[in-house]
Amino acid sequence: MVSLSVSNKRYTYIHESGSKSTREAIDIHHVIINGSSGTGYARRWGLGFFLVFLASSMYFLLGKDNPARTLSWGCLLSGFLVMLHSRKFVKKESVIILPTFGIQLETQYLSGKTVSRFIPIDKILKPVLVECVTPITCYWSLSLFLRGEEQLTLVFKELRPPLKMLVPIWKALCAAIGTDHQSETIAEEEHDVSS
Amino acid sequence: MAEPPKLRVLMVSDFFFPNFGGVENHIYYLSQCLLKLGHKVVVMTHAYGNRSGVRYMTGGLKVYYVPWRPFVMQTTFPTVYGTLPIVRTILRREKITVVHGHQAFSTLCHEALMHARTMGYKVVFTDHSLYGFADVGSIHMNKVLQFSLADIDQAICVSHTSKENTVLRSGLSPAKVFMIPNAVDTAMFKPASVRPSTDIITIVVISRLVYRKGADLLVEVIPEVCRLYPNVRFVVGGDGPKHVRLEEMREKHSLQDRVEMLGAVPHSRVRSVLVTGHIFLNSSLTEAFCIAILEAASCGLLTVSTRVGGVPEVLPDDMVVLAEPDPDDMVRAIEKAISILPTINPEEMHNRMKKLYSWQDVAKRTEIVYDRALKCSNRSLLERLMRFLSCGAWAGKLFCMVMILDYLLWRLLQLLQPDEDIEEAPDICLCHHRGVEVSEGLRKKIK
Repeated sequence: MVSLSVSNKRYTYIHESGSKSTREAIDIHHVIINGSSGTGYARRWGLGFFLVFLASSMYFLLGKDNPARTLSWGCLLSGFLVMLHSRKFVKKESVIILPTFGIQLETQYLSGKTVSRFIPIDKILKPVLVECVTPITCYWSLSLFLRGEEQLTLVFKELRPPLKMLVPIWKALCAAIGTDHQSETIAEEEHDVSS
Repeated sequence: MAEPPKLRVLMVSDFFFPNFGGVENHIYYLSQCLLKLGHKVVVMTHAYGNRSGVRYMTGGLKVYYVPWRPFVMQTTFPTVYGTLPIVRTILRREKITVVHGHQAFSTLCHEALMHARTMGYKVVFTDHSLYGFADVGSIHMNKVLQFSLADIDQAICVSHTSKENTVLRSGLSPAKVFMIPNAVDTAMFKPASVRPSTDIITIVVISRLVYRKGADLLVEVIPEVCRLYPNVRFVVGGDGPKHVRLEEMREKHSLQDRVEMLGAVPHSRVRSVLVTGHIFLNSSLTEAFCIAILEAASCGLLTVSTRVGGVPEVLPDDMVVLAEPDPDDMVRAIEKAISILPTINPEEMHNRMKKLYSWQDVAKRTEIVYDRALKCSNRSLLERLMRFLSCGAWAGKLFCMVMILDYLLWRLLQLLQPDEDIEEAPDICLCHHRGVEVSEGLRKKIK
């Protein structure tokens, strides 16, 4: 049952939860890349492959090679690069909260491949909202303090959903592990965020 | 009367805590006082070791430690355009109105000011140092400064000498340059409750042991003073390349029992070193302001200093004995200081310093500069390019090309990631809630 849906240009957040009467219901939070962003990805990579194709074509043409051979080489190279990078395109990331058991983090790629990671509930110390800074940008990130681990664990490894999408997931995680989110603070990024 | 609109200031410099120095202190204390005046202040600096990302300091001061590694002398590698995306993101995220850059040495500061002007923000620059005009390094630095300040709204200098120096170096209109001195946290630098005995006079030196700070002068002055006054001892705090020369001097003149070398002194321990002495000795060869003198005077020490840069402007005549940067003249100045030492009242000196120098006053004066900057009219790209063209026959054209490219890159970034796609950060107003510091802005967002 979809209980909440939030969208922006790039992402759509969907919250699926079981029956409201039982607290033991599985809680699922999806963050999906919008179609427009997918086509944006495709457009950007398409341009990249076109440039690679153009460069390889120029190389063979300057080498006074056979044009048919040039074209086939270009297609082959572009195809190989498409294959190589299509595996890295993320379709959606999900957080599945299993009360009393733990949480499962899932990443689904455009190729259909799904990568999952289960974290037992007793290993989670605290979910935190941190501001991450890279050499070129800043963004909000939802991370977990795990028992016995120095580094923070990212809930969303590939996607960077906005704060308005992260807050309900953070609240749900707080409720699942039994911390009072009203008295929480913004966590400073005191640890390196593990990738 | 309506309350003036509160500003959102971005302080940019390569020099900030955990690094320690005059610029770092200035940014921190100024930011704290501006926060108390109701403005929002954000600091942007480069990462220091593992200190990377966003940190919050006292009073909710937000610091962006951008993961750019320092290149030389704690400054980042000059990429010119590399910092544009992160500067743009921070300016949009924090809804900044004024960008305030600190220190001419800081490449991050120059780049941030350039990008901020390209994006139409108001910019203010504070120069904390004095530079020469003749050597190769100074010539290049002055050209960079000329480029950086050609399109600035207002500038601040820490002394009148520094103002004159900056105006001459950058070709900036003197009407745009304000003089706002540094200050001292007098609460941190209080005199000792019991004044040390004058049977043995202790002269304290705390500075980096480098050529610019006059370490070579100390090598000649200390043995002569020790020869003239058997009851004088020296306490030297600080480290640097000239440390070896001072150690050699100590060995050569057998002054191990009279010259105590402390090595590097953390800022938290400076006061405890100062209060053990009677006279503070500053031998700098060039100095725009010299906060060390203020700290010493606040601790009730009589100061002996070289008459260089902005030093003569710092203290009233009865609190300081000035000398030329020459060993003989400095020895004479120390002799004079020893003779007037009985008339010095540390408590009275401390109270006078409290009135003379306060960070609250510095913040209020800086607020006026920000206000002036906001009143400056927005110039079009063509008007701005005309200003750069006047920077020199070849340099002017080069500066114009740099700015045109910066403008085009900014437009490209806007195309790839429109302004509305950059998420605004909630304002932090730290208040106590159930014993935990909570972000008011984020709490509203969560609720």
